[in-house]
Amino acid sequence: MSGCDPYEHCITCGDVGVEMRVVRVDDELAVCEALDGDVRTVEIALVDGVGEGDRLLVHADVALVRL
Amino acid sequence: MRFVDEFRDGALGRRVAAQILGVVEPGRHYKVMEVCGGHTHSIYRYGVDDLLPESVELVHGPGCPVCVIPMGRVDDGIAIAREPGVVFTCFGDMLRVPGSSGTLLDAKAEGADIRMVYSPLDALRIARSEPEKEVVFFAIGFETTAPSTALTLMRARAEGVRNFSCMCNHVTIVPPLRALLDSPDLRLDGFIGPGHVSTVVGARPFEFIPDDYGRPVVIAGFEPLDILQAIHMILAQLAEGRCTVENQYTRVVPYEGNSAALRAMAEVFALRPHFEWRGLGFISQSALRLGDAYADLDAERRFAVPGVRVADPKACQCGEVLKGVIKPWECKVFGTACTPEHAIGTCMVSPEGACAAYYNYGRLARERVRA
Repeated sequence: MSGCDPYEHCITCGDVGVEMRVVRVDDELAVCEALDGDVRTVEIALVDGVGEGDRLLVHADVALVRL
Repeated sequence: MRFVDEFRDGALGRRVAAQILGVVEPGRHYKVMEVCGGHTHSIYRYGVDDLLPESVELVHGPGCPVCVIPMGRVDDGIAIAREPGVVFTCFGDMLRVPGSSGTLLDAKAEGADIRMVYSPLDALRIARSEPEKEVVFFAIGFETTAPSTALTLMRARAEGVRNFSCMCNHVTIVPPLRALLDSPDLRLDGFIGPGHVSTVVGARPFEFIPDDYGRPVVIAGFEPLDILQAIHMILAQLAEGRCTVENQYTRVVPYEGNSAALRAMAEVFALRPHFEWRGLGFISQSALRLGDAYADLDAERRFAVPGVRVADPKACQCGEVLKGVIKPWECKVFGTACTPEHAIGTCMVSPEGACAAYYNYGRLARERVRA
């Protein structure tokens, strides 16, 4: 999930959104797991009613849309 | 992998390519711009262009924020990074973008405390854990990334984190598209619209392209089949005499975008009257600064910066590449003096830059399907 491998996407330039599954919700933050197993703490303030098990599109640790 | 493998299916790709061939008008040459650097990367990574008729030319747009950062802004960032007690944070690709006297990576080697982060929230965590330091986040990116910076600044404000600030270089997608459409250098037939920017801004901001300029736009995902289908949708519109904004990426992009993200951006940012884009020059109202309510978190107000405009190196033709006037391999220094390891131009720095995409994936053979 690193944005900096020269053969992979730069997360900003690549406009990269990562699909993640919500493992646990804690107020406006959620622990989310990517398909590759990477786990990050994600801001969910921009998506209403996020719950455990939801699939989110995440960019730079912020959820932008529920998938 | 589900939802990925289906969109990389070679047999399906060849079927869509055949459909593209079916809507191409004999004798007509089409120029389609993919706006987003992520599309450029996918096109060359997966060889999408090899499936297209030779009459369909893909032009690489300005949607790579690293590629459009002018040298003067890098110099300003380095000046802040060299201030005593500063921890300067930025995304990894920014580290290798040349300023007038080196890169942020060079400044780091010379002793500046410069750290790569994955998100602005990572930078805020550093500020919390090292309260004796001044932590600066160098923000770049289009509307996909700007909400993350906005939420981080709102969180910093709410928590009273005083040793955190932001040097804002966020840019917006519509003004450069309008500048390109007004450019006499370039005639485009249609646009592959940016996928994830549109999750924030929605599809509506692109409606001026068909309305004012008579060109179709299709917002697309980043898998090879997404891009092929978007090209087919653009060419089908042209063949049928239609011209509108369509959304190929409906599995992710809502037509109205994300109103909460737009509200967060509106609370934190204000439009700059003008901003310099590498290769495109100054474009009015094309970038964001911190609004007055967040001025105390603005690194450009907290620290002295040179603010000097620096001309690009003469050998560099990034501007013509960014406008699609020349192909990357037509630049005088492509692959010789300018490589990903020793980049002169920004288009070679980021993997999403058109030059790096060509260089890394070796798409130099121009054998194409004949219509």
